[in-house]
Order: sequence, then C-alpha cells, then structure tokens
Amino acid sequence: MAFLLRRLVFYLAAFIAAATINFFLPRLMPGDPIQIMFSGAGSNLSMENLNALKLTFGFIDAPIGQQYLAYMQSVFTGDLGRSIKYYPLPVTELLGRALIWTLGLVGSATIVSFVLGTLLGVMAAWRRGTLFDTVVSLLAIFSSSVPGVVISLTMLFVFGYTLGWFPNGYAADPMLDPEFGWTYILSVLHHGALPMFTMVVLLTGGFAVTMRNNMINLLGEDYIVMGRAKGLGENQVMLWYAARNALLPTVSSLAISVGTILGGSLVIEVVFNYPGLGNTLYQAILARDYPVIQGQLLIMTSAMLVSNFVVDLSYVLLDPRLKKA
Amino acid sequence: MLKNKVILAASAMVLAMAAPASAQAVLTVSSEQTTTWVRNFNPFNQTSARATTKDFIYEPLAIFNRLAGAKWEYRLAESFELADDLKSISFTLRDGLKWSDGEPITADDVVFTYDYLKKFPALDFNSVSALMESVEKIDERTVRFNLLQPNSLITTTIVAMPIVPEHIWKDVADPVTFANETPVGSGPLTEITRFTPQIYEQCRNPNYWDAASLKVDCMRLPQLADNPQVLAALAEGTLDWATSFIPDIDNTFVAKDPEHNKYWFLPSSIVAFTLNFEAPDENNKKAFTDVNFRRAVSMLIDRQTIIDIAGYGYPVINEDPAMLGEFYKAFSNPEVATQFGQYGKFDFDAAMALLDSSGYVDANGDGYRDNPDGTPITIDIEIPNGWTDWIDATQIAIETLKQAGLNVAMSTPEESVWASDLIDAKYSMSLNAIASAANPYFPYIRSFNPDDFGKSRFSAQRWTDPEVVEMLNKYTQVKDPAEQKTIMDAIQLKVAEALPVIPVYNSPSFYQYSTKRFTGWASADNQITSPVVSNANPGRLIQLLALEPVAQ
Repeated sequence: MAFLLRRLVFYLAAFIAAATINFFLPRLMPGDPIQIMFSGAGSNLSMENLNALKLTFGFIDAPIGQQYLAYMQSVFTGDLGRSIKYYPLPVTELLGRALIWTLGLVGSATIVSFVLGTLLGVMAAWRRGTLFDTVVSLLAIFSSSVPGVVISLTMLFVFGYTLGWFPNGYAADPMLDPEFGWTYILSVLHHGALPMFTMVVLLTGGFAVTMRNNMINLLGEDYIVMGRAKGLGENQVMLWYAARNALLPTVSSLAISVGTILGGSLVIEVVFNYPGLGNTLYQAILARDYPVIQGQLLIMTSAMLVSNFVVDLSYVLLDPRLKKA
Repeated sequence: MLKNKVILAASAMVLAMAAPASAQAVLTVSSEQTTTWVRNFNPFNQTSARATTKDFIYEPLAIFNRLAGAKWEYRLAESFELADDLKSISFTLRDGLKWSDGEPITADDVVFTYDYLKKFPALDFNSVSALMESVEKIDERTVRFNLLQPNSLITTTIVAMPIVPEHIWKDVADPVTFANETPVGSGPLTEITRFTPQIYEQCRNPNYWDAASLKVDCMRLPQLADNPQVLAALAEGTLDWATSFIPDIDNTFVAKDPEHNKYWFLPSSIVAFTLNFEAPDENNKKAFTDVNFRRAVSMLIDRQTIIDIAGYGYPVINEDPAMLGEFYKAFSNPEVATQFGQYGKFDFDAAMALLDSSGYVDANGDGYRDNPDGTPITIDIEIPNGWTDWIDATQIAIETLKQAGLNVAMSTPEESVWASDLIDAKYSMSLNAIASAANPYFPYIRSFNPDDFGKSRFSAQRWTDPEVVEMLNKYTQVKDPAEQKTIMDAIQLKVAEALPVIPVYNSPSFYQYSTKRFTGWASADNQITSPVVSNANPGRLIQLLALEPVAQ
C-alpha cells in the first residue's frame, strides 16, 4: 500500500512538471497565431483586421505568469478553452472528434502488432538458428529501423496512387454522413486499411525483437528442462513456461506503446491525411494554436503517466517475486 | 479497381437516398480549404466563420463591380450619397426588404450593427468604428454615417461590414464567441439544411428580395483540406465552382472533360521582392538603401521565366516600378513607364552596367560584388517553407543574380518564422505579397505608413516618404475625380522613382468552373463580374445570381 501511495505522489509531481513544460514549450517557438493568420497563403486579412483579432484572441498577449496560472487552473478543471484556428470551437470537442479515429486506428494497430509481434518473437526464439528465425529476425530489425515516414510514403504511393487499391486520405468517404450504417462502416474500414497495415508493419518488428531476446535469455533455465522432462508438449513448454516469464519486460513496452496511442502516430496520420490526434496536433503546431497544443500535450502526458502507473500495479500482480519485496 | 467500385457503389447509394422529390438546383462549391467544418456563421468572426457567410447569408449594401464598367451595383441599398464635404454619407435601403425569418430590414438594423461594433470592438474587423463620429437614423429606410475626417473612400469600408438583425443579436450575450449556428440573414442562401464536419448545405432564403434573379436553390460545400483534394474533386466532376491552385491545369483538369471544365485566372495580389531598408547586416543595408542597387537587382529578375516556370504561366507580369501593374491599370500614370519603366524590365546588360557604374565591383577578389566602400554583400533570401511556387521563383532569380556577381542564397524557414521576421524587419531579402483592393490607395498606405511598421508584413521593406504619406492622406479628402487622379499620379511617380519594392508579378486569383450543371459563368469573353468564390470577393454574389441550371 505504501508502495502505491509513494508511486502516486511521484506521478502527481511528474504530471505537474510535464504540464509546466507543455505550457512553455509551444511558446518558445517564434511566431504567434495572429501573425500566421495574416501570412497564410491566400490570406485576405488587412491591417484593419489586426486590432479586432488581437481583441478576440487577447489572451495571448496577457503577461506570461498570468497565462500560466490560468492554464494550470484549466488543467485541473478540465476547461481547455477554445481553439484559435477553429474559433469558437472548444478544444475538448475538437480533440474529442479526433480521439475516436486515433483510438480506432492506432489502438487496433497496436493490439494487432503486439499479438503478432510477440507470437513471432516467441516462435523465432524457440526455433532459434533455423530459417524461420533468421527470416523473422531480419524482417523485424529491418522494419523497426527504417524510418516510419519512408515506409508510409512507399505504401501510400504503391497501394494508393499506383495501384489505386486504397484511397489517398480521409477516415471515410467525405460524401457520406457519419452513421452506423453498413455503407459508412465499409468506407471507414476501406480508408483505414492502409494506414493500419503500415502501422502494423512498423510496430510488429519492435515487439518481435524484444520478445525473442527475452525468450532466448530464458531458454537455458532449469524449469524449461524440467517442463520437458515432465513430458509436456513442445508448444506447452514454449508458451506456458518460457513465454510467460519472458512476457514481463514486453508488458512494460506494451504499456509505453499504449501510452503513446493517444499521441496518435503523427507521421502515419499526416501522410495518410487521417483526422486523428496526431494530425490535429501537427496542424495546431503549424498554426500556433496554443489551446489545442496544450490540450493535446496534456492528453498525451496523462495517458503516458497513467499507463506507467498501471504497469507498476501490474508488475506487483504479475511477478510474485515483487510481492515479497 | 476496388477503390473506385466501392466509392461508386457508396456514392450511388447515397445519391439515391438523398435525391429530393422536387429536382433542386444544387451548386457544389469549394470556397475554402480546411480539415473539418465547424458550424460558425458569425459574420464578424473574420478568421473562423464559414466562407459562405458573407455575401450569401448577409448581403452587402452595395457591391463595386470592378470588371463590368467599374460601377456600383446596389444590393440592400437602393442608393447612397456622399456629401460634398466628404464628412458624411447616407444610404437608403430598398423598400420591402425582409430578413429570412420574415421580419423587415430597416435603418434600425443598420444603426444597431454600428452601435454593436462600438460596444464590442473585437467584432470591428475593418476598424470602421474609429472613422465614425456617429451613425444616425434619418427615416425608416435611410441611415447617415457622420465621419470624423473627410474620406472619399469610406464607401468601400462601410459596405464591407455585414448588417445583422437587431431582433436576434440584441439578445446575444457574447457576440465574439457566438457561433450563430442558425443564421437569420438577408442574402440569397441563408438556410442551413444540413451540417456535418464533412459537408454542409446552404439553401434558399424564403424571403429574399431578389428571389426572381436567384435560380440556384442550394449550395453544397464538401470539406476539402488542400489543393490536391480540390483537384481530385474537380477532376472527378463533382465540383461546379472552385478557387484553388491547380498545377498544369490544362492537363490535370480541363483535359478530363474539355467540353465543361473551364477556368479563368484574374490578376490579384502583387508579389514583389523586398530588400530590407533596416537590414540587420550593416553592409547589406548600405546596398539596399541605394536606389541604384535596387534598380540593378530589379533589372536582373527574369519575370517572364519565373511566371512560365514557377507559376505555370498563370500569374500576370508586373514590371511597374510604382507597384500597380495590370490590376490597377485604370489608375496608372503613363509618366511612370516613360521615366522609370526600364527599371522594371529584365535587362541583364543594363543591370551589369548600372552596378559597375555605381561602384559595386569585386573589391576583395572573392568573385562577388562588394559595396563601393569595399565591404562585402551577402544576401540571404528568406522564403516560407513549403511555398513551392515562391521557392521556384526565387531559385530562378538567384541564377541571374549569381551570374551578375552577387552573393545570394536562399533559406526556407517555417512560415510563422518568416512572417515574424518580416514584421520585425529581421531579414535581408524576401518575397512578399500585398493584397489588392478596390483602390491603389490601400496597398500604398498599408506598405508605406510609418505607423504600421512592426504591425504587419506589408511594411516589411520599412520604406516611407513623408511627401507620399501626406499625398495619400490628401487623396481621401478630395471629392473631385480629376483632382484625385492628379494626386495619385504624383504618388505613383514618387514611388516609381524610389522603387521601394521590386514587383515580379500579380498572383492570379483562381477560378475554376464546370458548365455541366450550370451556365452563366463569367469568363474572359463574358466579364460580368469577378467570379472568384473566396470570401474576399463580394462580386461572387453577382456571379451566383447569373447562374442558371442546365436542363438535365
């Protein structure tokens, strides 16, 4: 119990520190949102518009200490303010729309790649030295070291433009109204297929390599020999003795991945023009839309801290050795 | 291909479900590019309201039709009268005008709107309150605006403000954050019949005063995030009216359906190289503040090649040292071309001769020209990252500048960094765009008024001349058109002599249209109005009223 309380206090301190950094970091960038509205390509704004805009978005010019206090207050009350670019849309509504798409795309891609990568890693470790192992290891290392943007653009170009099998952008056909009808769901799946496939390619490698390395360390352990000696089948020993123990470090890397889900995968979403949280954050940064940037960074920080806390909890449950500590 | 089949099937199902009983004339338009539609029809939210709010929901008092005879077209107002002393202007509304909810539009609404602007300065996006002494109701249909200073150009400023219904807006607690989701308006298309983040539809005003001229029942606006998406929609044939940069338009758009797909590019904002008169580098500053250096640089810019290659041939060349060019040719002073025209044209030999004779030779033997006093000149041209046409244009310019012996390079900072560098005058050389307006007075005053230095990027060159500013002020205070012309001619001559910016071309304002479902479009052969559908152009209302559906 004391352990958990100590962890909670630690996480709270980390949260406040992160929230403070989230406030100052965007403001270190040169440029401010009103200037950007003026300089935007095709901007029709004139000098006369400037004063009205400064009055509307005046909160940008208030003294920094005052802004910071207002921000910290909003962090704990949940009132994230209104977007500057999509004024007067509240930030929570803007992020809420994007959240659904990100959870769907990145969430499902993470789960699929975790399951797939872990299984592949387990099998590769069990069959170490064989062709299967070599192929899987090479592919895994390759896919996790090639930059995500390269793989995404290649996929988009080959499958989207050249072959035309998949659409080039959007979460669903823009001519359709969002609803739970079959046409719409089909369109969503069709549009999400390519980004999801790309993400799975990018993520699986990492999980596979980690799992394989964890497993290999264990293969010489006594209890593996014991399991075989008892007469258990190969698969049973592989899964229930070896994999189960190798799972622990993988769980923590899964937790970190889950924590980053709510950051969206910025590269994938921008390349595929997918309206998720990553894309929203990217657009907000370009427009210096401080309320949205702050809101999204807050979500990402909270998600990461919460998932780390859950990992701490789960370790106590998963690893009996810790219970005694 | 699977993609097309699925989309076709989906679209067919949707269209089958959506087709109304009576065949409505629906115009599909792309007026602005954004990643999601936000339901905001507040006409005072200049940057965040939907682009179809002005003109289509809130009709202006009058529209200046620059193309069809440079005359005023009266809309909500049936006439206006500028007093001889230029200190007041009165507008008379038409008889029998109604808001879309049936209430009459009267002078009370106009007075209310202007009092509202005074009360909530954040709504006053044209800074019009600062010019008004008072706004008074003369009778049910007539309003008089009393000005603080005589101002001959006040009409343009006044008609740019929307008139809103008093009976709705007087109950709004905070008009700055009010999204006006179900607008009550005076224009042709006021009813929002459908609104999702991906598409919205705006339909006929049941009480529109000019309903006889309106043959379009609804406008449909699909959400399109950027130029490639607009191009995809145009190529598919789903858009009727758009305003977007389309590369190689003859092949990518017109070729898809040569009978119906058309475009017409009209000259718009000026794009000019600016040399910073307050350059942070002292040596550069010496060169930039010398008019001979600027003239030489201007003669080294191969404008036609830039237009043909970087601009795909769309922009209109601007060789006018007074900055005005084709767009303002009704105002131009022929003396400018006679005395200074040569400095606006590409002439490599003349430029080299001018640089040599002004003392810009290679003093230290590094292969680059230096100042007459021997100090080196190193120019870094800042162009916003991602603005490919400007980057291409600058690269073409750098080729000739380097050939002439000048040490130039280009850097591409992020757009917001570029903008703040220009506003704070912390750059060497850059390209800048200055928005066009109905009268050359506006670009001149925005660029050369020392009070505006540091407020916007239009004054990035940081050049001013007290005589020019004085003449500009006088310009708004004389009523006689002949006297105005004399003043404007003199201003142009002074600006041309000083060459504070180096004009390259006038950007086109983009206009693409399809005659498949509607006819009556403006074109080079049918110049009824400026047909650009962006919210900077009130003339688009006239285009809408000229459209007729084609019998399907």
